[in-house]
Amino acid sequence: MQEFDVLVIGGGASGLRAAIAAKRAGAAVALVTKVHPLRTNTGVAQGGLNAPFGKEDSSERFAEDTLLAGDGLSEPELVRILTQGAAEEAVWLERMGVPFNRDGEGRLDRRRFGANSQPRTCYADDRTGHIVLQVLHEQFLRAEIPSFEEWYVTSLAVEDGTCLGVIGLGMRSGKLEGFAARAVILATGGFTRLYLPSTASLGTTGDGLSLALSAGGRLRDMEMVQFHPTVVPKNPGLLITEAVLGEGAELVDANGGTIAGSKAVPREKLCGSIMDTIENGGGSVFLDLRPIGKEKLSSRFPQTCELLRTVAGLDAAKDPIAIQPAAHRPMGGIEINGQGETALAGLFAVGECASSGVHGAGRLAGNTLTEAVVFGRRVGEAAARYAASAPKRSFPAPKLSDEERRLGALTSKNSASDSLGKIHGELGRLMNEKVGLARNQTGLKEAQDRLQHLKERHQRLRVGDTSRIYNYQLTAYLELGSMLSLAEVVVLAAQARTESRGAHRRTDFPERNDENWRRHISVSLVDGGPKLQHKPVGIPG
Amino acid sequence: MQITFKVYRKDPEGNGKPGRSEYTVDLSDDATVMDGLLKIRDELDGTLAFRASCLRGYCGECTMRISGKSTFACTAKVSAFTKKGPEIALDPIRNIPVIKDLVFDWDAFLWNKIKAVKPWLEPREGPANEEHRLPDAVMKDLRQVMSCYYCGLCDEGCTVLPVDFDFLGPAALTKAYRVAFDPRDRDGKERLRIAEQPKGVWDCVHCFEASEHCPRGIAPTERIVALRDKAFQMGISHEKVARHHQSFAASVKESGWVDEGRLAVESEGLTNIKGLMKLLPTAAKALVRGKAPLPYVHSKRPGADRIKKIFEKGERERK
Repeated sequence: MQEFDVLVIGGGASGLRAAIAAKRAGAAVALVTKVHPLRTNTGVAQGGLNAPFGKEDSSERFAEDTLLAGDGLSEPELVRILTQGAAEEAVWLERMGVPFNRDGEGRLDRRRFGANSQPRTCYADDRTGHIVLQVLHEQFLRAEIPSFEEWYVTSLAVEDGTCLGVIGLGMRSGKLEGFAARAVILATGGFTRLYLPSTASLGTTGDGLSLALSAGGRLRDMEMVQFHPTVVPKNPGLLITEAVLGEGAELVDANGGTIAGSKAVPREKLCGSIMDTIENGGGSVFLDLRPIGKEKLSSRFPQTCELLRTVAGLDAAKDPIAIQPAAHRPMGGIEINGQGETALAGLFAVGECASSGVHGAGRLAGNTLTEAVVFGRRVGEAAARYAASAPKRSFPAPKLSDEERRLGALTSKNSASDSLGKIHGELGRLMNEKVGLARNQTGLKEAQDRLQHLKERHQRLRVGDTSRIYNYQLTAYLELGSMLSLAEVVVLAAQARTESRGAHRRTDFPERNDENWRRHISVSLVDGGPKLQHKPVGIPG
Repeated sequence: MQITFKVYRKDPEGNGKPGRSEYTVDLSDDATVMDGLLKIRDELDGTLAFRASCLRGYCGECTMRISGKSTFACTAKVSAFTKKGPEIALDPIRNIPVIKDLVFDWDAFLWNKIKAVKPWLEPREGPANEEHRLPDAVMKDLRQVMSCYYCGLCDEGCTVLPVDFDFLGPAALTKAYRVAFDPRDRDGKERLRIAEQPKGVWDCVHCFEASEHCPRGIAPTERIVALRDKAFQMGISHEKVARHHQSFAASVKESGWVDEGRLAVESEGLTNIKGLMKLLPTAAKALVRGKAPLPYVHSKRPGADRIKKIFEKGERERK
């Protein structure tokens, strides 16, 4: 069995940054990831990462904007960790080789992005995620960290409330193996594939959240799912970075009239304006990129132009683009403290799978990548410290044979007319319709009932492919299981929150209610069923 | 519309012989090949193995050959491949070991070679709170190179890899360019030394297929040429092919034409006794057949002085 001090699960920006930091802190680190790091969902991030530079800006102003976007549910002390660490991490990325766009003096240029009150977003054209990911991967290789690529983690090895490692399935070898570790960091990404359409990659299925939940961890703010305002509604959605609005693009209705309140506002408000226009007889809403000008469009947004052309058959310099909001990123996730610690000893979480307390009810555009690197480093270092002092415990070997039996029982030749894709399709549409931008008790209750039905259908299904080598049907089965268990949590939390705040808009409770609801909803499993707890805002850093 | 996919199959646990499966699925008019594949795996055959990630052209994971054309299943519209009939053939890209069905060995094909060029910056010492001040033109070139999404199409198009799989290939050498041309790297020479080793830049035959095949317009062949030029400029040119280039240019500069005897000897290297010995049979044959009359004299061509001036002008301009 392989043994490490720190085991990082997930090869996106957060996971790579955590692994590099833990290694620098002296730990024996390894990475386990279900897709190669350069294929992870970080690569789809476009707009940039926030960091306060210059005389006009400060970490305090950055914190104010972040708190405003969080709509009263962000944790001020944790936000400060983000905003005070951002500039240093942006410079670190630059010094490691990110070719950020420069201003006339050769310094980091910043663009206006979303509801940032300052030009604060460092960027690399419209491929910031893709390029930051490459540089993190370069430094990850430089650190000579063992990397288990195309390994799917099927469960956490937990004993007496302590995480002692994970069990993973090697896609290539077809073997199930245990990985012992004193500290495990989940950096597995979000769960936006609960929704269809969505802006996320195929593997964004909430695996880590589901692993943590079933092992005794807690999930927080799960009702808060951000929709991205400007998405070409395909399946999957083709996202156009909101940064285009800061560079001159306009949102217009079918008659060419500008949509009010579409500049420099939080995504939640922008989505609301777009949906109001669509629902109040405006028909479609269009993103008009022409005011940016042809030259700037192709130099600053080369990928956007390319993908619009190849995927949607549209010319950004000629045609206004029909858009609508689509599910983008969750604000909630595995409950962590300022060090990334979860409810389980030895289990840490970071990035989009975690609820760091920063994003509250709405995420400020450009904060995702910033969070990935600031918290990635912080949690990597914390896990290394923990591993250095944690008592050595042996990996619970029987868990491996239990897991072998569990997976074996899922496999059998079957000729059911039902399928994973059909269940996922129904789940995605259900979440989009009833648990999407606008919610109410009737719809949420209906969603809850139909989810039970979908879960039963999933449990009846079997995996027909009996091979273990590159058995994507098996991993898809496990991923759908994760999604269904998380959907239930999202629906329950959304029912419980009887107010409107940030991304959570209840048509039957349209007002924000600070008296009762400046509180997080935290969910854990008790006797196999989800149990909700409320925790007031005010977590210490 | 009803589409029949004829898909390459290989079972790593079977007899190792490749085969082909046929699946007919109903797809919408604007469906992509990836939509078809996901539907097949979901509804018809759960054993079909293929990779996918971003689903919309960001990541390069689903590269495959679609009716003979290598591209991405997630952005390829089915309708673009069915003009002659409702059939599409799906195969792994060429020049690559296949593991199972459309899943091939990215490690051997790409990732291990990228690792071999040590593709990371050794950052210079400096204040942790201040970025390097650099003109955007330099950064823009790097951003273009880093728009690479490791799809492997340049390597698939490469004409050297089919005869020598150990050649680093255009993708890995483009990655070497990314570091060698980044002014922030502490030791700009390290990547050039690696790229210049056997199986590196000098094995490229500059057929420009890599540049033709790159979907992002990164021009890998030109990047390889740039690595060679820079290696020369920095005096890193130990490889036989590099010596061949230098000797070729030197003899044309001095005499107006190629001195083949000198070229052969200098390419092998004056201290490379073993290499020089290998030349002897060829030299003997040339003598016997009157191709190298004795005494061996390589005289200047008429106009050689003017050719020399062209060289000198070029050298001044490069400086």
